[in-house]
Amino acid sequence: MKFVKFIISLLAAAGLTYALNRPLGAVPALGRLFSPFEGFWQNGESKLALPPTNLQLDGVTEEVDIIFDDNRVPHVFAKNDHDAYFTQGYLMARDRLWQMEFYTLAASGRLSEVVGERALELDRYSRRMGMADAAKKVYENGKTNKIFDEVLNAYAAGVNAYINQLKYKNLPVEYKIIGYQPEEWSPYKTILMMMNMRNVLNGGSDDFRMSNALSKYGMDVVKDLFPNYPSNESPIIPTGTKWNFTPMQVPAVPAQTTATLSTSETVAFSVPQHSPEIGSNNWAVGGEKSATGLPILANDPHLQLTLPSIWYQMQLCTPTMNVYGACLPGAPGVVIGFNKDIAWGVTNVGSDVMDFYQIKFKDNSKKEYWYNGAWKATSMRVEEFVVKGRPESLKDTVFSTHHGPIVYNTASDKNINQNVPVGHAMRWVALEKEGTDLMAFYYLNRAKNYDDYRKALTYYVAPAQNFVFASNQNDISITPNGKLPLKWKEQGKFIMDGSNPAHDWQGWIPVDQNPTVKNPARGFVSSANQFSTDPTYPYYLGWRFAPSERAIRINERLEKMQKATVDSLRMLQNDNFNVEARRILPVLMKILNADSSETKNPAYQTLAKWNMKNDANEVGATIFERWIKELRYIVFEDEFPMKDLKSPMTYPSRNRMWDMVVKEPTAKWFDDVSTKNKQETLQDVVKHSFKASIDSLTLKHGSMNPENWAWNKVKSTDINHLGRLPGFGRQDIPNGGGAGIVNATTELNGPSWRMVVQLDKGWPKAYGLYPGGQSGNPASPFYDNMIDKWAKGELNELLFMKSKDEKSSRILGTVKIIKK
Amino acid sequence: MTYIIILIVSAVAQYFLPWWVIAPIAFAICAWKSKTAFGAYAAAAGAIATLWLGYAFYLNSNNDGIMLHKIAGLFSENIKFLKNLPVTPTYFLIMAIIGSQVAGLSATAGYHFRQFFK
Repeated sequence: MKFVKFIISLLAAAGLTYALNRPLGAVPALGRLFSPFEGFWQNGESKLALPPTNLQLDGVTEEVDIIFDDNRVPHVFAKNDHDAYFTQGYLMARDRLWQMEFYTLAASGRLSEVVGERALELDRYSRRMGMADAAKKVYENGKTNKIFDEVLNAYAAGVNAYINQLKYKNLPVEYKIIGYQPEEWSPYKTILMMMNMRNVLNGGSDDFRMSNALSKYGMDVVKDLFPNYPSNESPIIPTGTKWNFTPMQVPAVPAQTTATLSTSETVAFSVPQHSPEIGSNNWAVGGEKSATGLPILANDPHLQLTLPSIWYQMQLCTPTMNVYGACLPGAPGVVIGFNKDIAWGVTNVGSDVMDFYQIKFKDNSKKEYWYNGAWKATSMRVEEFVVKGRPESLKDTVFSTHHGPIVYNTASDKNINQNVPVGHAMRWVALEKEGTDLMAFYYLNRAKNYDDYRKALTYYVAPAQNFVFASNQNDISITPNGKLPLKWKEQGKFIMDGSNPAHDWQGWIPVDQNPTVKNPARGFVSSANQFSTDPTYPYYLGWRFAPSERAIRINERLEKMQKATVDSLRMLQNDNFNVEARRILPVLMKILNADSSETKNPAYQTLAKWNMKNDANEVGATIFERWIKELRYIVFEDEFPMKDLKSPMTYPSRNRMWDMVVKEPTAKWFDDVSTKNKQETLQDVVKHSFKASIDSLTLKHGSMNPENWAWNKVKSTDINHLGRLPGFGRQDIPNGGGAGIVNATTELNGPSWRMVVQLDKGWPKAYGLYPGGQSGNPASPFYDNMIDKWAKGELNELLFMKSKDEKSSRILGTVKIIKK
Repeated sequence: MTYIIILIVSAVAQYFLPWWVIAPIAFAICAWKSKTAFGAYAAAAGAIATLWLGYAFYLNSNNDGIMLHKIAGLFSENIKFLKNLPVTPTYFLIMAIIGSQVAGLSATAGYHFRQFFK
């Protein structure tokens, strides 16, 4: 009996302990998670937590001082570059380790190792794209540059110095919740991090959708509705700028410009649509336009907003540099920032750098494909997936042609038994293997003048960016820059023929012939992801860039601006004026107006009184934005279905639609093809879309009133946790803006860093913030402390220190790293 | 006395060892000290509940409860009824139950172990 009692009680105790010490499905090990000695309680940072005043670390060669300011930005003062990058790695790991590793897992297609089955499709896609493979080669090529190799290794050593001293109780809380451990960092992972940016900014394509439109409507319609240059552009390089170079021979347009095989059902792309709207703004005003007589530069890159934040602020000071700015967790150096003499910033170039080729295989083995009149061998690699919760790993075979990898998803995998298997190979600039991107930032961090800026840009590969520049020698400049494929006109607008050598990319635009402008007559330079140049530029870059409304607004305001100050540029970053409404609202209202019953509608009256600003409290903005979205849907979804699974297409641009409304009011596209016996007119669709918008807004937000229908309530900007952990993000941020607005804050995207730098002969003054905080720890007061100020459009003055001995009331404390 | 010994020994041990060390500690000390099964259970459960509650209370107030509220947000998104309960008492209670049950059951097992060999 005693034995039975003992055994039963022992089993109960051991069973409970065991059960609480292991994860159960998605539920983490509860005993460990709740234990105050190891679990989440340990992640609760106290208000002003700084590391101990001295850190003894193996890896620095001399003593390093880290000064933390009141926003917990570290200012690193090192006696050599190695120690500075080591310290940068250490600090970023301390604040952002989980986030850094998450990006690398995503880029290398390994998320399912930690989150299980639900990430498998995404992983398969990433692996087929081949980013991990490319990252390895980029590092192999890059490390022949000694500086590059030293910087990356010093940074990795810093990250690892932090990882190596971690115990479970100090792990970032996400590791505890999801249940895994950080891996060692390496230069390869830094490149993966950069691959992730290439994918975010360059990883989309309209080729398949455009081919579908072409095969349904023919070339004339496509040329008419999807023109290569919009009617309302305000290009980055001002119209009239001289191209002071002798262009290369541009390849001739071949007789056949698209794929020839039938595309029906052979591809079902999981490739995301080209989204040049993931955009950004930057500009610089020259001395003659500024109050100080020297340039002022502004930049706000728009990305999907997440917590932990995309950016990390830092100052790095060594004998070779003293630079401050926004850094990417996982990468050494400063990406957007300034030093004593210069400031620079970036926005994305929306050129077409991802193309698809139709491939005809010899047979189902896919070992050979038809090219230039002969069978050519593919290369093959097997990707292995370790999936959490699955006893065995999964395998996927990926074939590559000389164009690039064959990317198709499960739907077309099922078509494998067709007699002539057709695949689609991807040519993508992100898989280019030169490894020098980071050197562009390395040299910008140290640049002193315009020539240094120009030299730094030659190192940059992808994703192509509009690099804006200003110096205290009163120079301003902007350069859409990166490795840009040399193409014939419209090359890659549609799926191309993988067997035709004329369809290969024809080389590269020489980097010194990338569009650029220095000190233009108008006294400012700017970009908002619009077309890089007008059609006089000798090379073809792409047919679809971001809509031009932001650019138009920025340029018209800068045009008028005199005696510009930091504050005038800050206000421009927060400009909510709706250029599209100015253009089209009066036209649409006039159409509605024709019917007197509409004019009594309170929604109509609100719109009529609207100041055309997408301010947070405006109801007019809510109605207008909803209305044009609805109108575009009603006009085009019947003919160019975006959501069609078999044969998805894309809508003509908004600009093209407004041209149609104004100039071709009887165009056949206004008719709804699904109504057989009825011919809808422009008037019909305008009225119908207006009514539908009001109905759907009423359904979702109740009857119209200034509270429920306020633009910020309806738009509802959310900053979610990077790993989508509920409760770890911030929802319903009160602010205005919108997709075509300079203040480009939408539901999930927005200005991920706002910076304004006033250059000075002595010492620059700089301002900036991002919607988040320095710490990646969800329990830190510095996790999201800048969000409220960001939402209001305010900026923090940045503490840019001359030396480590500088006194400031904003300094919280100093930490020394001492050689072990 | 058993209560105090478990409290001190497990406080020190948990600083260096995984959380489940409370199970063998409760087992061993109660095998050695306890006179009744219930006494063993109460002393160990009480000691760990006190220790965990006390330490968690300290950590939580240093952090103004930010971490706890984030964790609560995460759990209540998946287990809906938790949404209607007050966060701080609920999660302190869950934690106390986890710690005290592991310790209490182990202590009872320790007591019965001793009885078996007596």
